Amino acid sequence: MSIRVAAVADIHLGEAQRGSYRPHLEGIEERADVLLVGGDLTRHGTLDEGKIVAEEFRGLPVPVVFVLGNHDYHSDVEEEIIAVLREAGGIVLDDTAETLLGGRLGVAGGKGFGGGFAGKSASEFGEPETKAFVRHTREIADRWRVALKSLDTEYRMVLSHYSPVKETLHGEPPEIYPFLGSYLLAEAVDAEGADLIVHGHAHAGTEKGMTPGGIRVRNVALPVLRRAYATYCLGSEEC
Amino acid sequence: MDTPHYVAARVQQALAEDGRTNELGIRVDVRGDQLFLRGQVTGDDQRHLLTEVAQEAAPGLTVHNEVTCVEVRDPGEEEQL
Repeated sequence: MSIRVAAVADIHLGEAQRGSYRPHLEGIEERADVLLVGGDLTRHGTLDEGKIVAEEFRGLPVPVVFVLGNHDYHSDVEEEIIAVLREAGGIVLDDTAETLLGGRLGVAGGKGFGGGFAGKSASEFGEPETKAFVRHTREIADRWRVALKSLDTEYRMVLSHYSPVKETLHGEPPEIYPFLGSYLLAEAVDAEGADLIVHGHAHAGTEKGMTPGGIRVRNVALPVLRRAYATYCLGSEEC
Repeated sequence: MDTPHYVAARVQQALAEDGRTNELGIRVDVRGDQLFLRGQVTGDDQRHLLTEVAQEAAPGLTVHNEVTCVEVRDPGEEEQL
């Protein structure tokens, strides 16, 4: 049986947007079985903004899965933001995996990170700052492999903030690609297998792309979608 | 007068790093004494703050804020994968 996945990212809610996104979620249970939110939930990553986000998604009739984005880390209270999202009933992935819909859907992921794409990427070489940058992405990719391996579900998805591929960045200046994602993320998912990867972060990018291994990638950043969320049907039957 | 190239870079950094804005994806161009901001933000309040921060980072230039707000439409049709 097919499943329907709603996804959005980069909603960037602040005080002025309190209560503004919730109306768009009315009736979501008619359109989707689960909602994935791919990071940059806030503008400045403050706990107050985290609470606004938590209230916006509290008590929805479908499970809601979050990852954080770089904006949500800016005020160094990411753990507190994760806690308020969980308190409001959300599932937050932090390089972890979760099984949903009675074991039918597994979602793995986390915020991801940058570094660039095959042949034009940063290496773990030279100054400690450069090494730390690249190592962060490599360690995330390794944790995603472990998270994906742990899933024994009919469908498997990956939720990220940063992009695993270049194709969904099309429209962004190529000079900033290394800050928008890393091929190490795609390599990890291609090795373990998944039905779909969704991400955000690239506001000027393109919705549709694919990994080198043929896994579909969707950039669901709100400015790319220009709609409340995208809905994808996974499975051979029509939803 | 500062080289326009560096003025634009300074404004772009200010828009990213200033706590009022923290906007990373704004394009900044300087032509003569005119400064242009382009891109998208999620709220009207944020758009006004961009002008404020840009003006402070580039006093003496006329700021033209051409940034638009993201319009959130209904979810629309689903994609079969």
